[in-house]
Amino acid sequence: MEPVDLTAALGPVLGDRLLGVEAFPRSAGRIRFERSGALDLFRAVRDSLGFRHLSMVGGIDWTDHREVFYVVWSDDRREYLFLSTDVPADDPHVESASGIWPSANWHEREAWELVGIEFDHHPDLRHLLTPDGYEFRPLLRSFKLHEPEELEVKTRHV
Amino acid sequence: MSEMWINMGPQHPMTHGLWNLRVLIDGEMIVDVDPEMGYLHRGIEKISEDRHYNEVITLMDRCCYVAGFAWEHLYIIASEEALHLEPPERAQYLRVLCDEFQRIASHLMWYAAFVQDLGLMSPFLYGMRDRDLVLDLFQSYTGARMTYEYMRVGGVRSDLPPGFTDHARKVLDWLTDRFVEYDQLCLGSDIFRKRCDDLGTLKATDCVTHGVTGPMLRSAGQKRDLRKDRPYAVYDQLEFDVALADSADVTGRYLVRMEEMRQSVRLLRQVLDWLDRHPGPVLADRLPRWLGAPYAPVGKEGYLLKRNYPKGVGFSAVEEPHGEAQAYVVNEGGEHPYRVKFRSPVFANISAARQYLVGYHVADIPPIMGSVDVCVGEVDR
Repeated sequence: MEPVDLTAALGPVLGDRLLGVEAFPRSAGRIRFERSGALDLFRAVRDSLGFRHLSMVGGIDWTDHREVFYVVWSDDRREYLFLSTDVPADDPHVESASGIWPSANWHEREAWELVGIEFDHHPDLRHLLTPDGYEFRPLLRSFKLHEPEELEVKTRHV
Repeated sequence: MSEMWINMGPQHPMTHGLWNLRVLIDGEMIVDVDPEMGYLHRGIEKISEDRHYNEVITLMDRCCYVAGFAWEHLYIIASEEALHLEPPERAQYLRVLCDEFQRIASHLMWYAAFVQDLGLMSPFLYGMRDRDLVLDLFQSYTGARMTYEYMRVGGVRSDLPPGFTDHARKVLDWLTDRFVEYDQLCLGSDIFRKRCDDLGTLKATDCVTHGVTGPMLRSAGQKRDLRKDRPYAVYDQLEFDVALADSADVTGRYLVRMEEMRQSVRLLRQVLDWLDRHPGPVLADRLPRWLGAPYAPVGKEGYLLKRNYPKGVGFSAVEEPHGEAQAYVVNEGGEHPYRVKFRSPVFANISAARQYLVGYHVADIPPIMGSVDVCVGEVDR
């Protein structure tokens, strides 16, 4: 299949909020975008480019900022596309993709509880893998493995 | 009638692992469900940030205890991509050998557990018996039956023992005959068909919307298999067909998994023939020393020698027995991965539980969840 021209397809939709398009091995590429353009980008990627399957959402802590990345798949093109945006560490907010791809729901819950990314307008932002009331974000670099934390676990349904 | 929430789990015969399915019921009808995960969360992604590349393989086996090889392979591909390493061809074939035998073992485990959920005891014993033959093969060349630690960044740990391929062919012959019996036991039984037909239906469009992959998606008629669509290792040099069904229900998932086992046998015969004809190294030479000799400490600091790895991101996606698994490995030049993120197929398949459970009866939950093939180890990681 012809490689898709991501800049030409997404430039008009996003304008300045499209920060760059990079090559990524064995995929359609990797798009870096400004977080304010998240919903416009998701909609364009799903509807215009045909990436209807969201495989995963994850967060990376780069200490000075955090990165949120999305992996989407197109059944027509048979390839992956990577999206990524940076959020400041002191204001880690980004729009939830759950409204566009319902499969983002649990992945965002996980990224929220483990990396501390706040997904705005998420339908159900609850703890998934860690207990309710667990206030630590274990996948942050500041969370050290060798220093045990004291924790009082609340039961969920009493 | 008033509605009420009941907990199925964390200790319940339906769950096959530690998780809790909260079900809102109105009489016998399922109105809503809310799966609760996390009982088996070990923080594998976090621990990986604190280990050398080869040490993470130990964790991968524990990710999914019925499909350890698939997860090892997943992580290995992503790491090799991040570190720019190329394994020898024989190692690639050995990895496919591991993957496909693992797929058979995993599907046999699923078959045993699934039919037991339906109340059929004898097929459970047959499934476990035949799975043991595959585990014996694993034991003969890795030394372990479940947690193998066999693959290495840059190849595999060791070659096959003498006489392995002939032994493996005998096992394949035996399994091929048993698959016929399985079908006679299940598809030939009216009780099985009445229990499973039109149950837990999830159409292809809903599968895509909710991220469902693997046998569940293929049972809805969508032809998607990463071994074909985005071939890794040497799958593009082997012949096989993608197993498909079109009923999108529990029976469809049964049919797809049974056909996948037959296709795995077909793949394995080609791989065994190739391995017989092509002896060679199984671990890349010119590896960084600590990668090539995983058991030998190097220098005073053990493995911790200064190295200059290229910074970068490795991504891999493999068709695990349960669906599409993905790994995203970020390398920042240190001796540990900076960040490792895994996508578990069962994680996504369970997250769509509301779509295929609501509207059915409480008594339908065990067969439906059985047909999903839940492995909690890889959901919670």
